[in-house]
Amino acid sequence: MRETAQKKAGVFTPPLKSITKASMMVAMHIAKGRKANRQGKVAWVTSGFPVEVLSALDFYTFYPENHGAICGTAGQSVSISIEAENQGYSRDLCSYARTDIGALLSGRTPIKKIPAPDILVACTNICQTVLHWYRILAHHFEVPFILIDAPFIYDRAPAHAVAYVRKQIEESVPQMEAAAGKSLDLSRLREITSLSRMASQLWMEALERGKNRPTPLSAFDQFRLMAPIVEMRGTAKTVDLYVDLLVELDERIENGIGVIVHERKRLLWDNLPIWYKLDYLAEILGTHGIVLAASTYTAAWGELAEMFDPEHPFESAARTYLHPILNRSTRDKLLKMLQVCEGYQLDGVILHSDRSCKPYSIGQIDQRDQLINEYGIPALLLEADHNDQRAFSQEQITNRLEAFFEMLGV
Amino acid sequence: MITIPSRIDTIKKFKQNGGQVAAVLPIHYSRALLRAFHILPVEVWGPPNVPTGPAATHLQPYVCSICHNALSFLQQGGLRLADFIFVPHACDSLQGLGSVLLDYIKPTQPVFPIYIPRNTRPSDLEFLANELTQVYDRLAENSGWQPDERDLHACVDREELADHVLLQLHQSNRYLPLTNSEIYRIIRSREYLPAEEFTRVAEKVLASAGDTLRPGIPLLMEGIVPEPGDILETLTEFGAAVVGDDLASCRRRAYPASSRQDPFERMAERILKAPPDPTRGSSIQERVDFLAALASRTGAQGVVFYIVKFCEPELFDIPILRQELKAIGIPSILLEVDLNARLSQQIRTRLEAFMEMIE
Repeated sequence: MRETAQKKAGVFTPPLKSITKASMMVAMHIAKGRKANRQGKVAWVTSGFPVEVLSALDFYTFYPENHGAICGTAGQSVSISIEAENQGYSRDLCSYARTDIGALLSGRTPIKKIPAPDILVACTNICQTVLHWYRILAHHFEVPFILIDAPFIYDRAPAHAVAYVRKQIEESVPQMEAAAGKSLDLSRLREITSLSRMASQLWMEALERGKNRPTPLSAFDQFRLMAPIVEMRGTAKTVDLYVDLLVELDERIENGIGVIVHERKRLLWDNLPIWYKLDYLAEILGTHGIVLAASTYTAAWGELAEMFDPEHPFESAARTYLHPILNRSTRDKLLKMLQVCEGYQLDGVILHSDRSCKPYSIGQIDQRDQLINEYGIPALLLEADHNDQRAFSQEQITNRLEAFFEMLGV
Repeated sequence: MITIPSRIDTIKKFKQNGGQVAAVLPIHYSRALLRAFHILPVEVWGPPNVPTGPAATHLQPYVCSICHNALSFLQQGGLRLADFIFVPHACDSLQGLGSVLLDYIKPTQPVFPIYIPRNTRPSDLEFLANELTQVYDRLAENSGWQPDERDLHACVDREELADHVLLQLHQSNRYLPLTNSEIYRIIRSREYLPAEEFTRVAEKVLASAGDTLRPGIPLLMEGIVPEPGDILETLTEFGAAVVGDDLASCRRRAYPASSRQDPFERMAERILKAPPDPTRGSSIQERVDFLAALASRTGAQGVVFYIVKFCEPELFDIPILRQELKAIGIPSILLEVDLNARLSQQIRTRLEAFMEMIE
């Protein structure tokens, strides 16, 4: 144990203080959730839902995906998933969904208590999985289920798709109001939209500090800092957190402090994190002088910041929530990777082929091939699963990573 | 004995008459819209038993065999007679396949993605009508042809008649003097026969319906597609009569008629009012009710969930569907298959045991 700590001390600089602050915010949000059913109304919501309307109606928002990630980092996702599998849910289903359904059926969770929903809201802009998953929840809880269907963008979003999403958001308001027991205050919605825009801009600015050499912020840090932008994006606290983060990052940049002591190579991470192996991956990369300076995943909550328009909250929400990376073409994702590789001066890409996330993963084989063959960027496809450790073969992954490192010359 | 023209003969004949052909991936789209442009839709549900090496260079192993086979089939020249490729959005995997086709594989034929909404609200109808209009515009631009409203309605009329006859086939299933395989071969000829030809074939079959039940223990099938096809023969062998189904390729696409004035809204409404389907966002209760009613009407004594491995839309609902069916006294069995594998001995043994249990 001491040896590992010493090894880490020689490899990594001290962690960002903002990570502790973000963890505290999440812990407080979870603690608030334990009393949420007594104090107000609760919405279960997907990470890509236009949450601003729910916030304006004072819902406590619970994110099953984030809960799944918490179970994953706590090392409990497999044992909780098994509870779902024992009830007939296939291991081929998304491991977030299995974790969530397992928690629902067994009552097991590392956060002690999950508030029951008064309403379920999902948006298909991240995957179709959430549609099927939330239909199960709707059947179980017998509460209203609102779906915002976001047509996939193969090329450019047609006007009728934007109009469709906008209409759905507007039409869902009366249902949300009925569940909330109050009316939507448009000025509050504008204020929250403004905070969402600000938080997303700050988040993106923070990610872009990763362009510095050495990078003061790794993708692993981003994974630990992202929960507030996902589940508390329309709040002043989140804005404050990322303002503080920027100050902290700028201090590091000024003092030439990077995430790792000797930065030799810089890579891009594509797809969801492998939540239960963050430390292992950080360490194996770090000990080779490699830092993950960017991630396509964490940028998803920042790159659309400019689309938020507080003066036109519905229209802008429609555009914003139609365009997450997961709802855009495989070609678009490749272009995004190329842009990041150039902007952040990266030496290669690790594409996590995540068996639990088909919309993110399909296309990666061609993306990898094009990165290597068309653009001369070293790229590695790593087979795993974001929340199911049974799909992670550490020996095999270590071998593949080490071969990749050799190719990178480290 | 009813003779059904083969796919290849149908395609050749249609082309000889000046028409074009579209290869259409699962699940929902408007046949009428394509026919208005003299395009024959020929559906690609896999097909089964295709060497899948070519697709493995684009798709991960955890993507279903419908996508792997379709892509392999395309890459091996199986779709060379197609002038267009249509990829309706049914799930994350077909979405990915559509995107990979457009972005990387770039087949010689134009690829048309189409998004099918996941609900049945007025806004969903409006969106789908707009999606279909967009396809119309592209086809019009491509062909220089602009079918008018009357042409479009005439095409919808023809498809509605074919779907009406298709529904009758489903409903008369128990009284047809045919085997499971023969009945489903006729039902599935809707995947490629022109509507008018399908109607003729199906009406002929319906005329042979008697008033005695065909032999066998009545069962329902649930899933995407009855492939590999030996499942139907195996069920016959074990004494089962498949008297109805909730299969995406079959009963879920017996589209009802629509009386809307706008032809695009009419096409859209037919799709949105089709039987419950998880890929269109139907609630689980709707699916339970549909299966229970079907079992009650057909006298089915059990349900075979015949699932293509990795099919998320199907796999999510199965535990609740099976539980609810059990609660009303209908036993079920879950079989997971790959389109390229024949039924394993293990599956045969499980099926046999299931049949014995029902008996």
